[in-house]
Amino acid sequence: MVTTRDLEAHFEFECKACENGHCSKADVEKILAERKGLKDFYETFKEHIRECKRMTYGQYMFVIDREILPEAVLWWHNHPEFKETHLSTAVGTDERPLNGKFAFIPFLNVQVEPLNMDGNYWVFLKTYMPADDPSFPSVAAKLPAALWIEREVKDLLGFNPINHPDPRRLILPEDWPEGVYPLRKDMDYKHSPITEPKTEYRPTPKDTSLVPMGPVHAGVEEPAHFRLFVKGEEIVDVDYRGFYSHRGIEKTGEGRLTYNQILFLAERICGICGYQHSVSYAMAVERLADVEIPDRARYIRTLLLELERIHNHLLWVGIAAHLVGYDTGFMHAWRIREPVMWLVERLTGNRKQYGMNIVGGVRRDLLDYRKEEVLKVVRQIREDTKKFLDIALNTNTFIKRAEGVGILPYKVAKAYSVLGPTARASGRKIDARLDQATKTAMAYNEVDFKVPVYKEGDVLARVLVRMDELFESIWIVEQLIDQMPGGNIMVPIGDLPEYEEALGFTEAHRGEVVHYVMTGEKNKVYRWKVRAPTYNNLPAIPEMLKGYHVADAPIIIASIDPCYSCTERVQFVDIKTRKVKVLTEAEFNELSIKHKGVF
Amino acid sequence: MEFDVVKLGFSLAGIIILLFLPPYLDGIARRVKARLQYRRGPPLSQTWYDLQKLFSLPSVRSTRSALFTWAPYLALASSITAALLLPYGNIVPINIGFNLIVFFYVILMVSVLLMLAGLTVQSAFSHLGSAREMQIILTVEPLIAILYGVMAYNAGSLNIARIIAHLHLTPSLVLTYGVLAYALYVESGFVPFDIAEAEQEVIGGPLSEYSGRLLGVFYYAIHIKRFALLWFFISVLVLPWLGTIATSIKAVEVLALQFLLTLAAYPIIAALEATNARLRVDQVVKMNTRMFFAGVIILAMAFMGW
Repeated sequence: MVTTRDLEAHFEFECKACENGHCSKADVEKILAERKGLKDFYETFKEHIRECKRMTYGQYMFVIDREILPEAVLWWHNHPEFKETHLSTAVGTDERPLNGKFAFIPFLNVQVEPLNMDGNYWVFLKTYMPADDPSFPSVAAKLPAALWIEREVKDLLGFNPINHPDPRRLILPEDWPEGVYPLRKDMDYKHSPITEPKTEYRPTPKDTSLVPMGPVHAGVEEPAHFRLFVKGEEIVDVDYRGFYSHRGIEKTGEGRLTYNQILFLAERICGICGYQHSVSYAMAVERLADVEIPDRARYIRTLLLELERIHNHLLWVGIAAHLVGYDTGFMHAWRIREPVMWLVERLTGNRKQYGMNIVGGVRRDLLDYRKEEVLKVVRQIREDTKKFLDIALNTNTFIKRAEGVGILPYKVAKAYSVLGPTARASGRKIDARLDQATKTAMAYNEVDFKVPVYKEGDVLARVLVRMDELFESIWIVEQLIDQMPGGNIMVPIGDLPEYEEALGFTEAHRGEVVHYVMTGEKNKVYRWKVRAPTYNNLPAIPEMLKGYHVADAPIIIASIDPCYSCTERVQFVDIKTRKVKVLTEAEFNELSIKHKGVF
Repeated sequence: MEFDVVKLGFSLAGIIILLFLPPYLDGIARRVKARLQYRRGPPLSQTWYDLQKLFSLPSVRSTRSALFTWAPYLALASSITAALLLPYGNIVPINIGFNLIVFFYVILMVSVLLMLAGLTVQSAFSHLGSAREMQIILTVEPLIAILYGVMAYNAGSLNIARIIAHLHLTPSLVLTYGVLAYALYVESGFVPFDIAEAEQEVIGGPLSEYSGRLLGVFYYAIHIKRFALLWFFISVLVLPWLGTIATSIKAVEVLALQFLLTLAAYPIIAALEATNARLRVDQVVKMNTRMFFAGVIILAMAFMGW
């Protein structure tokens, strides 16, 4: 049995967080003494700090003046002792209905010591801006990791990052009118204005020609638009325009759904790492409600998260092989992966882990006789993957395409706050599973595993990191099955405190997923912010592409495993009658009957 | 002129083979690849079905250039001509004096037309593909020319039939076979050398703007070109050591041997394709350059009489 130290279990249907001093009402001096570095920060910026409080276990907030925002962020990011600290993301909130102000909160993942979840913590640097002048000095001018974050709040909330080096539109479509800000509370979620499209591409540099990769490109199955400026085949510079599939999920969630409904929206953010989003969101809300979820639920969640990692890494390595024309690798990787999907279908009723989570636990128990099956599948995968790697890593042409390509140096990786395997392939020793206190929602503190780190920073290193992780995941699954505790699988949450904020996070197979939740009245969510790892990894892509060939572009882009958050289905169109028929599940299954013994 | 039934028969057999076999060869390759990937794979005629479908569809023309329309047909004509220059049994349907040189050029024409067709449209991917095709041609063709030169010197002729009849075994010839296999494999554009038409990188390269019938014709031309190169290689590899082909029966046997060896070679090619990733064009240029110097050494050896 594990104690989640700070948080005690509360089964009463009422808010316990405030009573126990786990939220804003705790004593300041006591809070600052809790973790290393907090006091130093407080001393350095004393006269600009308006308020400091602990949001929940391992999450601290400083309300600071907007003038010192860049200095404060950089103080943490470039902290000489906390080497792996990074600017994780930021959220902008329209708090005018509450206090007449706008708020902008960068989050820093402070790493006092790598992989020490009780020593590391999150820092929220909240800054308020008056409603008539929502501007703040740009952090992006000094730290590329903030480039997108600030463009995002500019688009969605109309904040003005002063001196931002690249203040073009990022998220909203080209035909969205100026001056309409969807995430402001006075805008209805159904409002969808349209105007003349206006594109803001960077001009093509002198003596180069343009290769437009996307928005639809055979190599990158994602609506993303890379504009490669090339000399011959060499890439000189890159411009990026994305967010073609922006769905406004945050706006839909806010104010319209209850906290339990949002969970089901959260897991549909991504078709690949959906469960990571679902757990992150659930974790944030559980932190707010200050409940300890049952151990069995934590174990089942961890099990499913790791199964997700296993199948995603296999999926990814298949795609990588396909992109360099090594289709045999692709087919075999996906063949090995398929049993995991079948297994997950047995465990959750769904090939993806959809509908499995709930705030406070999980919805389905793991039946004991299925434990054997889980072990059988993961052991088979270990054997098959070993064979696969033996062949793939001995394919000379595959190695030639992956080695020394798309190198991302450590410094650049850190400056862009690159996450996950991409970061670990560049020598960053980070892994949100162990870095931050995931133990309130998952069981990573009770299993043993290594975090593989490579220094090369090329595509091959990213392949190797992922494959090492896959074996670690299998090892984690075996331990989880072995140690699976009994007991309940969920605990009721009760009412949420009003206007409190917390983060939930997991390490998806692409990097750290962060969900920020600010509660509203009546158990609704006032602000919900999702940050998928690709959001941090993608801005670093131009840095990886420069100097390499157009031929390398697909594999380099794919090497961060960009998230394809779109759904696809099969439909037949009769070209004569124009009738459209969408396949039913049974018909679809018939198309993919599991044939055996091809050889 | 004397009407030669035997010659007519063999020529007809040759024409039937060169027109109908190439898509089936591709079918074999697809099947073998599928098996290596633990899949069932499509029926052997699948490539034919694909072509049939493409032939029946109209093409979208994204340029006014006449070359865009004519290039596939010219490429098809070139590859058929190339295949007609090869021996079927002991008969060469078009037997003219220096037909090795003609063979070299008509095969090259397919690549050149592919490249030019890519340059007629305003598409970055087409242009990139054409540029890649050009780099590959520029580096592999000199190598092929040298190897043909070695064979011509060895046999003392530039006529394919006479080369086959007069080749004698020397160390340089053995090396030539090895390097020639590589060079023709590159020229055929199999993985890992399918760089110009790389789907994931340049969306089909020069073919990216082609559709329907024109695309089908181009594919057909490329299949025939691959067949011609393979048939040529097998002919120069095997036929010289079978002695003179005097009787028709022996000629039929030889034709059957050529046919079976061609069929047998395709699974090997498919296996190579399936177990490799695509190379980058600069890597191929480097490899070709190295092979070119190897070719020069082989040529020197041939002159020395080795």
